[in-house]
Amino acid sequence: MKAFTPPPLRPGIHPRSGLASRVDQGMRRSVPCLVVFFVTLVLSAPLNLPGQVELMPAIVMALVFLWSVFLPVVMPSLAVFALGIWADILSFGPFGVLLLMMLIVHGVALSGRYTLARANFFMLWLVFGVVMAGVTALQWVLCSALALHVVEFLPFVFETVLSFGSFPVLYAGFVWTYRFVVNNADHS
Amino acid sequence: MPVSIQFRQALGKLVLPALILVACGVILLGKADRALVEKLRMRTADLLSPAYALVEWPQEKLRWLSGNLQDIRNLEAENIRLRAENASLRHWYDVAAALADENATLKANLHWIPDNAPDFVTGRVVRDTSGLYARAVLLAINPETAVSKGGIALDGAGLVGRVTEVGKRSARVLLITDSSSRLPVTLEASHAAAIMAGDNSPLPRIIFYPQDNVPIEGERVVTNGEIESLPAGLPVGHVHYLRPGQPVVVPAAALDHVDTLRIFNYEDSIAPPDAPGRVPLPPVGRTMVLPSQFQASPDRGLHG
Repeated sequence: MKAFTPPPLRPGIHPRSGLASRVDQGMRRSVPCLVVFFVTLVLSAPLNLPGQVELMPAIVMALVFLWSVFLPVVMPSLAVFALGIWADILSFGPFGVLLLMMLIVHGVALSGRYTLARANFFMLWLVFGVVMAGVTALQWVLCSALALHVVEFLPFVFETVLSFGSFPVLYAGFVWTYRFVVNNADHS
Repeated sequence: MPVSIQFRQALGKLVLPALILVACGVILLGKADRALVEKLRMRTADLLSPAYALVEWPQEKLRWLSGNLQDIRNLEAENIRLRAENASLRHWYDVAAALADENATLKANLHWIPDNAPDFVTGRVVRDTSGLYARAVLLAINPETAVSKGGIALDGAGLVGRVTEVGKRSARVLLITDSSSRLPVTLEASHAAAIMAGDNSPLPRIIFYPQDNVPIEGERVVTNGEIESLPAGLPVGHVHYLRPGQPVVVPAAALDHVDTLRIFNYEDSIAPPDAPGRVPLPPVGRTMVLPSQFQASPDRGLHG
């Protein structure tokens, strides 16, 4: 199946698609997944940041959400699955819970993407907040169920609030990456 | 094999639900086969632990520098405090020296069998793996060192936790504040045995203490030798009441900022010999623990 590619920002003359240009395309396309991969890796290092444990899911979920809404070609379901396994290996929580959360966020973004991609930023922010609240509640329920006792609720509230608060910054980064890295538009 | 576009689209729509099902399966697998998941995580941590150590190094230097600067600012006050403390310590040193002499004489008279000195290794904490659900740290170790599961981790001041998983280059230490940590302890002043139960908060609770012998505010808490790999008398902390009827232990170890740990191996310490049909004698080197109602207290003799 030929994947849908969005039209370039500046239509006009394009270089011929040789091997070099295909390698270039591939590298640009792999940037979103690589960013998620390295964010997970770096935030598992002992940086002693306050709220580091909660920051990792917040950033990863926002990136998966944004790329799935605007350009699912570069964030396919299988890649989300692999990244979820990676995140679960690096975090010492119950295995598979982060993976399930990422897949759910990805699925919600995919199913609503024709509405969400046209909505303005604040609408997008609100929807992401609601999705995060739901997913974090699910995480709390799963963690409690797997630990066989009710785990403390406040860290999960903090995780939701943190992801909600960090969304605008991540959105700005996403827009920049989308325009100048993935979509192959020149700076000039 | 040529397939129609509709079929392909239907297949494409099935990928995500299938993956979600697989994820549920992964959760169940992780619950069912703990060892597999732990092995996977320890392998990854082993691979990454040099990188973690690299990240830790500048932070440590920075902490050292800022600590130094602060020390310089408080030099005067610190000096005065240290002089006072030194005077008091000198007194205690005399007392300790006298007691050590007396102890040596008594032991010589009693043909005392000395305790084995436990062997230990010291390692640097490379990562705090405490999450929303657990309190644990990851320790970098040499591939040659013999750190085994069940090793006891202490810092300069007291008990920190126990080794739960060992990889090639790293070991995971479950802190005493983790919600799955349960340790038998002795309260030194009231002579009561109790269980110290972590609950992921910085102050583990004291549970199962005798109701007629409640913990006293401020008394020292030490381990008691109820379990094989943990000897009696290691310092844990002191008792504090958060509110009436809710005693907790304030850990002596700095658990919020663990950087260097010693792992002791008490595995081959004292185990009672097998004696079928006989009541086992109290192990050598430890006093017999009497039930609390028979315990001698200073003001009341053994027989009341």
